Amino acid sequence: MLYEFRYRAPKTASEMIRLLDDHRDDGKILAGGTDLLPNIRDGNIRPAVVIDAKKIQSADSIAWSASEGLVMGNAVTINDVLRCREARELFPVLCDCARQLASHQIRNRATVAGNVVNASPCADMAPALLCLDAFAVLESASGTRQVPFSEFFTGVKHTVLKAGEFLEKIIIPASAAGARGYYLKLKRIAGHDLGIIGVLMVRRNNGIRFGVSSAAPTPVLVDGMLDKDGVDAAIVKVLAAIKPIDDIRASGEYRAFMASTYIRRLWQEIK
Amino acid sequence: MMKIKVTVNGLEYERDVAEHRTLLHFIRDDLGLSGTKEGCGMGECGACTVFLNGKVVNACLVLAAEADGASIETIEGQAGSFGLSDIQKAFEKNHAVQCGFCTPGMVMSVKELLRHNGKPTPEAIKEAIEGNFCRCTGYTQIIEAVLDLTGQGDLKGELKHV
Ligand SMILES: Cc1cc2nc3c(=O)[nH]c(=O)nc-3n(C[C@H](O)[C@H](O)[C@H](O)COP(=O)(O)OP(=O)(O)OC[C@H]3O[C@@H](n4cnc5c(N)ncnc54)[C@H](O)[C@@H]3O)c2cc1C
Repeated sequence: MLYEFRYRAPKTASEMIRLLDDHRDDGKILAGGTDLLPNIRDGNIRPAVVIDAKKIQSADSIAWSASEGLVMGNAVTINDVLRCREARELFPVLCDCARQLASHQIRNRATVAGNVVNASPCADMAPALLCLDAFAVLESASGTRQVPFSEFFTGVKHTVLKAGEFLEKIIIPASAAGARGYYLKLKRIAGHDLGIIGVLMVRRNNGIRFGVSSAAPTPVLVDGMLDKDGVDAAIVKVLAAIKPIDDIRASGEYRAFMASTYIRRLWQEIK
Repeated sequence: MMKIKVTVNGLEYERDVAEHRTLLHFIRDDLGLSGTKEGCGMGECGACTVFLNGKVVNACLVLAAEADGASIETIEGQAGSFGLSDIQKAFEKNHAVQCGFCTPGMVMSVKELLRHNGKPTPEAIKEAIEGNFCRCTGYTQIIEAVLDLTGQGDLKGELKHV
């Protein structure tokens, strides 16, 4: 790393909050580093202090209970999710998104928390967290607050997180257990790549919903659909909710076209 | 600067490192273990793949400071006093090495795969080495090496050489 910074590794959440408070302007949280370190290397960000959030006690715990749901600490990695039996059995759509994120080595480091705080439009965990009514627990010197992911993303690389605040855990409520669906992610190559468009369709007792990535400034949730509305109505509704752009990976027109193709495929597949 | 203690290939090291130093540069330049390669430096190519506490990671995306107390395994730790490891032998036998730049990383990813899956399908092998780029040998020989090693040599004929 050409650029110099200091490294701190708090052992408790309160120590973390104190450090963050001291470094509101020049501190950056480090989770798996798979977004942060390339960004520092490229000179896009220049923190004076990098605060490692992985050494906080039990931050790497992923635990299921029927009362709380699936609780994931801030240091839980994508592969930790895939190794968790309850995650695989009760939240298959979470795992379907996880499996399609980056490469095996990256999945061993990348955290779910880092994926959502980084808030890229193509964040692959976001469609699942949106469709499963997950929420983030945020901690700061002024206390704790809970924010559902439907209100978490505010723009490209922007979230509701304030300076001095950190994401302590992500919770998927028990009521979302058993939701079924698949995530279709279009990439330029068969191997690991960021998405051109990603569509997750989820079926829950109360209806059908879609989580869409790489299609708008933020990941998008489109819910409130029923079988009897039919697939054409679903496509109209999703296309009205997304704003795909032209960039180096694809044109906006192609993204919209593939979004509707994927919706049609998923609609047939997930009965 | 900070002091870190790591175990690399079974040997303990205690060193002062700059806090912004990557684990990759620490391994290559401070410890002199140059078997681990630097390709892209951005987690794309996998040339720097090593084991960190029993899991493969891109050493270019880890700080040496984060590895304090950790156990690390690199390509230098693979061959024993009786010669190359089984994975290395299979790579050699199946012509899965040409320039050799991706090989250290490939061997690490294959080792992680075989720990969890004794008979991986060609599809599972492809997935395991998805984060390791090869730009000369071609992936087919690498996949064949793994099939051969896992007693599935009969599947080799089904792969296309490009
Ligand atoms: C080669 C490569 C391929 C990739 N492919 C994909 C892909 O296919 N799909 C995809 O979605 N992503 C992909 N990514 C991006 C990245 O791996 C993911 O977004 C990952 O989940 C980020 O998590 P992390 O733990 O590494 O975050 P970090 O890089 O450590 O952090 C990301 C951001 O979140 C902040 N942060 C982290 N944790 C917290 C916390 N607890 N509280 C507050 N702020 C926090 C950091 O300060 C930083 O700004 C790829 C990256 C690489 C290098």
